[in-house]
Amino acid sequence: MADDLTVKTRLALPKGRMLKDTAEFLASAGVPFDGYNSSTRIYRLQSTSMPLLTAKMLNERDIPVQVAIGNYDFGICTSDWLQELQVRYPASRVFKLADLGYDSSGIFLACSSRSSISTSSLASGNRTWRIVSEYPALAEATAIKMRLKRFRVFPVWGSSEAYPSENADFAVLRARDESALRILGLKALKKICDSDACFIANTDGYQAGEFSGLLARINRGRKRNRAIAIPASSTVKETEMPRPLKSGKEGVWLALADGHQQVFTAAFLEKAGLKFKGYSGSSLTRRPESGLDWLNLKVIRPQDMPQQVANGNFDLAITGRDWMLDHLYQFPSSPVVELVNLGFGWVRVVAVVSQDLPADSMEEVQAIIRGGKLTPLRVATEYVNIADKYMRDKHIARYRVIPTWGATEVYLPEDADMLIENTETGKTLARHNLKIVDTLFESTACLIGNCRSLETPGKGSYIRKLARIFREAAEGKCN
Amino acid sequence: MESQRCKGARDLLPDDMERFRQVEDVFRASCTGWGYREIRTPTLEYIHLFTAAGTLTPSMLGRVYSFLDWDGWGGERVVLRPDGTIPAARLYSENFKGSRIARLYYVTSVFAFEETGRENREKWQCGVEMLGDASPASDAEIMALALEILGSLGVEKVRLKLSHAGVLKAIIDELKLDEEAKSALLDQLLDGNWQALAGVKSKNKDLNGIISTLTRLKGKSSGFLANLQALPSVSAGLRKEIQKFSAVTRLLDQLGLAYDVDFTSVRSFEYYTGLCFKIVSGKTKLCSGGRYDNLVNLVGGKNAPACGFAFYMDELNAAVRPWSKQKTDKTVLVKAAQPSAGCTVSAFKMARTLREAGLTAELALNDSQLKSRWSVTCLAGSKGYTLRDELSGRQKNVAAADDVLNIIGGFVSLGR
Repeated sequence: MADDLTVKTRLALPKGRMLKDTAEFLASAGVPFDGYNSSTRIYRLQSTSMPLLTAKMLNERDIPVQVAIGNYDFGICTSDWLQELQVRYPASRVFKLADLGYDSSGIFLACSSRSSISTSSLASGNRTWRIVSEYPALAEATAIKMRLKRFRVFPVWGSSEAYPSENADFAVLRARDESALRILGLKALKKICDSDACFIANTDGYQAGEFSGLLARINRGRKRNRAIAIPASSTVKETEMPRPLKSGKEGVWLALADGHQQVFTAAFLEKAGLKFKGYSGSSLTRRPESGLDWLNLKVIRPQDMPQQVANGNFDLAITGRDWMLDHLYQFPSSPVVELVNLGFGWVRVVAVVSQDLPADSMEEVQAIIRGGKLTPLRVATEYVNIADKYMRDKHIARYRVIPTWGATEVYLPEDADMLIENTETGKTLARHNLKIVDTLFESTACLIGNCRSLETPGKGSYIRKLARIFREAAEGKCN
Repeated sequence: MESQRCKGARDLLPDDMERFRQVEDVFRASCTGWGYREIRTPTLEYIHLFTAAGTLTPSMLGRVYSFLDWDGWGGERVVLRPDGTIPAARLYSENFKGSRIARLYYVTSVFAFEETGRENREKWQCGVEMLGDASPASDAEIMALALEILGSLGVEKVRLKLSHAGVLKAIIDELKLDEEAKSALLDQLLDGNWQALAGVKSKNKDLNGIISTLTRLKGKSSGFLANLQALPSVSAGLRKEIQKFSAVTRLLDQLGLAYDVDFTSVRSFEYYTGLCFKIVSGKTKLCSGGRYDNLVNLVGGKNAPACGFAFYMDELNAAVRPWSKQKTDKTVLVKAAQPSAGCTVSAFKMARTLREAGLTAELALNDSQLKSRWSVTCLAGSKGYTLRDELSGRQKNVAAADDVLNIIGGFVSLGR
């Protein structure tokens, strides 16, 4: 058995949460990569011990998909994302080779710890259960298996723990164990599956080539690894028992953004004279205090806000116009409307190709496609519906939209031909040897609302009041 | 040329459609003869209709085509109809008030994902539903109808195989498993894994004996079921279900309809509550059905007993002996002698005359058309017609349309 690889081999490595443990594991296995650390700005990595082994850093959720479609021979991710793919697409060309013995947690069906729901009560009655999850396929399969009569699954980008009980009955989410759920104010109804870091392979590649040198090292690394369960890091530090809703059904629900937009949103709220306890540039609770007895707050992902406002879980939200448009392109008759342009968080949504492509405009890209190249056009994007509409409007005959969960720049040119991406200065794109061929639209943060909530007596006047405060702040009329 | 057709999708060509329609016509005629009336339900339905407890098995639900509609921001998914019975039960609950008897039939396609793409993901079914009656006579009626249709189609080696969901569910209850184990066992049985049942051992030895008998033996008469319930430690609940089953088999005995009692013959019986049956020809399953007394209630209607069956068109088409090709004597090719407007108008008029006489008249637009036995060429300047019989190779010029009809009709000879 060779100790090295004899063929070029591509490995997909996780960025973010799993990066540190994975880097340690690879070092212990004798497969270290220069620059595989959280401060790196390069996404293409070269193994220092195996010359034929290269890697790219992807969002862990994208790794099973990328391995299944054959862009990578192997990948490291947690097994929950592999299961999510396999439940939705059982014929996927990817399989788990080995558990790696770290990042152990589970996927749970959980409800609010205040809730009186029990598993035995789920299948009876005519109630429609609302389930939020980053794992919509696992959530749906679980609901079917439990024979829930009526249910709706809301796929979310994250923060699913924030939804029960007011904005969803259940969340299907990852947690280290049941006590970790309790800290989040949730109780487990059912453990759906285990989730551990694992080494996955593309089925076709594995059948056709020899990778014994790499696999022997991975196996040695597994043996050296003490399999100590490393606590899954949580972005929410405080214990957050859900507060009861203050003013019954008449209260207004406002969704605030977490992540990158939080600092800007908090600064804007301060400018508007609104002091929300627990929501600032530096601290985060999922349920900040508004200080107003008619206003309820929750912190969720901006990507999820338009649909949550449309389905009435929230009345208002501060999100980007980009996400609102993505929602409206999917659901043209949605009741979501833009109430106030808040002006901050300016980005351009652009079509991007590799610098190496001989085209400087979309028309030139279209000419290349008409010449029989780039067919089907592979478009990687977080904005699936915007990209889909753009391709239709440009009459691209054959294209494939590859949904991603971030770090989209890394896909060009090997794993995609075009990106639909947002950019502020264009510097990140340039650093990755990419160029803009078209600007689709400009986006800023906006206050969005549900037009049906506006027509609700009582609630409507609170919404208009809040919109006025926001508008005045956006126009610089208050401090 | 690379096919642009979707994986798992299929084109039905004119020959396929002729065959399809012939089978369908026999099905329609029999159903109408028994007092059944045709319905058609939409291709799109809400998915909750199918997730409602006990309507489709988890493995079937894992293969449906579901998506969010353009107004699906509320998270309510719609589905391409994966089954014919459930929409029919919904239609009944919404339109037939007072639980009166409705005899309904339909010819419809159902959609289910199939991994390889080599099999059809859209399949056609001819289905029958009898709603509003719980008597064994209605079970017997639909089985007699299904057998009559197969008889009219000339299908050979037909066997009727019977099982009973009520008996199976009573046995599973009798095993006194916890909810999770019960649900896992039911899922396995629904997928046709009968070894799972044989593998479960109860403390009740008589129950083990019944399970062993049911999974190994096949009964040929209602006596088989009488033997089963004679065991002393059969519970009242199980005995009641066996008696219900016996009531149907006794009726079949008296009607002279042969059957096998074969509990392992059915799968996917999630929404069935009583008798289940399938009809095979050799090893091919052509039809399956059964009693589903809770379904109308589960899809939102009042309680209404019901039973039904569906034929699988692909298998049925293959089992029907080759049809003798229809004679093409009645098709007439109508030509214009010249591409002038006058000749073309004359050809249209002649074609209409032929159609009014009950013939098929096909306008000859260019030379690529298939030949038929007769052809009529309309001559320029109202000079009449040239009629040609391709079978004999003879032809004749005639002056009037009636002359053409008389010769094709065999009233006048074409001559030499």
